[in-house]
Amino acid sequence: MTATRTILPLAAAAACLLWLLAARQLPLPGWPLDPEGMSLGQIRMGFGLMPRGVIALLAGAALGLSGAILQVVLRNPVADPTTLGISSGAQLALVMATIFAPDLLAGGRWPIAMTGGLAAAGLVLTIGARRAFAPVTMVIAGMLVGLTASAVATAVTLAQGQYLLSLVIWNGGSLVQQDWSGVRNLSAVLALGGAAAGALARPLRVLSLGAEGAAGLGLNVALVRLAAVVLAVAVAASVSAELGLIAFVGLAAPALTRSMGARGIGPLLLWSPLVGALVLSICDGLVLAVEGSGGEMFPTGALTGLVGGPLLIWLLPRLRGSTPPGTETAEGTAPRLSCPGRLLAVVGLGLITAAALLLWIGRVPGGWAVLDPGSMAAFLPMRLPRLVAAAASGAALALAGAMLQRLTANPLASPEVLGVSGGASLGFAAVTFAVAAPSGLMLTSGTMAGGALALALLLAFTARRDMPAERVLLAGIAVSAFASAVLSATMAVGDARSWAILTWLSGATSTVSLAGALSLAALAVAIWLGGLATSRWLSVLPLGPSVSGGLGVNLRLARLVLIIMAGTATGAATVITGPLSFVGLMAPHLSRRVGLVRPADHLTGSALIGAGLMLVADFGARMAGFPYELPLGLFATLIGAPWLIWLMTRRPG
Amino acid sequence: MTLFQIRNLSVEVPGRRLLDDLTLDLPAGRVIALIGHNGSGKSTLLKVLARQMPAHGHVAFEGRPLSHWRARDHARRLAFLPQTTPPAEGMLVRELVTLGRYPWHGALGRFGPADHAAVAAAMEECGVTRFADRLVDTLSGGERQRVWLAMMVAQQAGTLLLDEPISALDISHQVEVMDLVRRMCHAQGRSAVIVLHEVNMAARFCDHVVALKAGRLVLQGSPADLMRPAALQAIYGLPMQVLTRDDGLPVAIPA
Repeated sequence: MTATRTILPLAAAAACLLWLLAARQLPLPGWPLDPEGMSLGQIRMGFGLMPRGVIALLAGAALGLSGAILQVVLRNPVADPTTLGISSGAQLALVMATIFAPDLLAGGRWPIAMTGGLAAAGLVLTIGARRAFAPVTMVIAGMLVGLTASAVATAVTLAQGQYLLSLVIWNGGSLVQQDWSGVRNLSAVLALGGAAAGALARPLRVLSLGAEGAAGLGLNVALVRLAAVVLAVAVAASVSAELGLIAFVGLAAPALTRSMGARGIGPLLLWSPLVGALVLSICDGLVLAVEGSGGEMFPTGALTGLVGGPLLIWLLPRLRGSTPPGTETAEGTAPRLSCPGRLLAVVGLGLITAAALLLWIGRVPGGWAVLDPGSMAAFLPMRLPRLVAAAASGAALALAGAMLQRLTANPLASPEVLGVSGGASLGFAAVTFAVAAPSGLMLTSGTMAGGALALALLLAFTARRDMPAERVLLAGIAVSAFASAVLSATMAVGDARSWAILTWLSGATSTVSLAGALSLAALAVAIWLGGLATSRWLSVLPLGPSVSGGLGVNLRLARLVLIIMAGTATGAATVITGPLSFVGLMAPHLSRRVGLVRPADHLTGSALIGAGLMLVADFGARMAGFPYELPLGLFATLIGAPWLIWLMTRRPG
Repeated sequence: MTLFQIRNLSVEVPGRRLLDDLTLDLPAGRVIALIGHNGSGKSTLLKVLARQMPAHGHVAFEGRPLSHWRARDHARRLAFLPQTTPPAEGMLVRELVTLGRYPWHGALGRFGPADHAAVAAAMEECGVTRFADRLVDTLSGGERQRVWLAMMVAQQAGTLLLDEPISALDISHQVEVMDLVRRMCHAQGRSAVIVLHEVNMAARFCDHVVALKAGRLVLQGSPADLMRPAALQAIYGLPMQVLTRDDGLPVAIPA
């Protein structure tokens, strides 16, 4: 820990300096603090800036502790409350409580945040337990649970109108304080959590031998794991309840501690809170410095998110030990059809029939109606582009998902995880904020450019030698995390532009033109043909890089081509559906489950099923809230997420 | 003739040197055992030879430096079996063996009569024809290993590199698989380099033995050169006794 002696004091000095920089205009209040006899400046100092400085230290320490415990108990160097979906779960629970049962909040936000965080953690751990807690799978599962929770929270926010935008601001993780109550709560949590962590240190050290080894030494593995995870969730959830979503401090603190040379579990648990406190203090000091000049509220949590994305990418090559072979297999032996052609024909016909039906029938005030030829002519120009766009984007996402799942040999790979959607969202947001009244074309090209940029980043990462495909997924996750951090920062501005972004994020087909829909369809067909042309790669690649390399497959070229195809498909579909839909994850799975095994059949089946799912989602989005339309991507998520979670928690075999 | 010419080969990972300035020639047309203690670098050497791992130094395969080979040309001449074979989800035996033709037809080439013939011959040679329409994942360990061997045979490569092909099998399947590899090589003039744990298996089924210790060469020679107490002690750092079976073959056990 020699580096610690120089780095830690320097960091502490920097944190102090930044805080003093913000505090220098305000007069110091007398002690004890008594608002009656204080000037306005003294009140701002004594009940604003001072508790803010303390709470940054406390929250950082709590998150550092939580992250260190999670990383130790899961033996996973990229585990933290953000990557495991705990923070998002807590956030969803709070949003739900605010809207549906505000009375519950009377008992404080903490129990609700705790329940939500525990539910999310439980879900992710159940999924992880099926797959030997493989680090990459855990993070992917955590991100999926987190994304779903945020999607549901967004849905509820949208449904309840603009006044909930303040919730979005809270989600950004603002450290602004009005009194010392937050400090009191968090210091109690930190003291209790620290004591509990101290008590758990020795069992955790034994657990670091692995479950079998620890059980052999007489440790109650399940109990220790449960206690440690509950402790970590409790600590993280109390930060969520107090301050909102502060991403990645829990990831950064243990990682930095380790890189400074801390070895073993005791030092890690001891130093991580300290490093976490300094990291969050410095971030908050920077925000204060910016705020001092601009005066606009900019949540600190968004800034830590900005640091977190690149940090995750930096950590990836250091992630030791890939997944043991076979543990990523989601389910047992799937059925296999002898005549896949027949099934594909039936699905294809069904799709066309359904599309035709959906064109004709619709809801009218007071019931359902089949259109007569006259109204058909009136409705067709409105309905046809929507249907075509929905089906095409579903097919494109499904193709991208099928390719990624085969490329990475990981059944959890999907376009949502690739980061392209995140980049596309950033592009959309950038145009919304940069241009006063953007046209549809500008928004589309901005979105595509953002997606392309994320793709380029991902490609630069893939081009490196020996980069296993699953790490590429993690890089995608890092890009997504980065994007969502920037988005929450921009949303925090909280005006009409934020509203436009929020609407788009949940996906809307209502604005698409026929030309746009047809070009998307053409793209989907092109990607499908490309997939068929590369079907030999797609049959070899699931066997892993050593077999594929041994057979003379040019791995670099194959990865490049497939990622470009998947990325293009995702970027184009995202313009229509918004960044989240889960169709890219669901359709390839369904196609696989009905017995389409060979790559060409699998791809074709995925595309057809994806198109069908999106048609259903589109129909549901139009009809469920008639006469209002729900966003398409959101509706697809609400269908897809429960199914996905059911699939992942099922026992293999 | 030399199969592999290895000059000053080193492989380093942070904090450890897996291969240390190794210089060695491997002869062609033989079944070569690579043996050594855990961490001696035997698997690392095999991975370098199979171009699965980057290394410093010079390695030539059939007289051409490894880096000069195009991926598919290399795969036409050399087939590699990793230590743990991945699950072949939903794949039939015939389909897996067919993948062995990839180096010949590539991503877009036609799967012609020659390819069909090679697949049929490979399945016949490895005795897996009767499993052809079964799912790979439903076979037993020994059967599955023979299917993977059939895939390598379908590659029609003159050289087979096998990383501990029998470590997960019971003793009867170990003998069966090693017997098959030996027959394949001797009947068709193929070369093989096999990483083995078991010194008696190496002595019984291989023509040539290369022993590594801590990333350096300690012994290269015939099985008879290996089966001497002094040689075995040098390799494993453990006193060993060599007994003679009734049929005259030597057997080594820890003394």
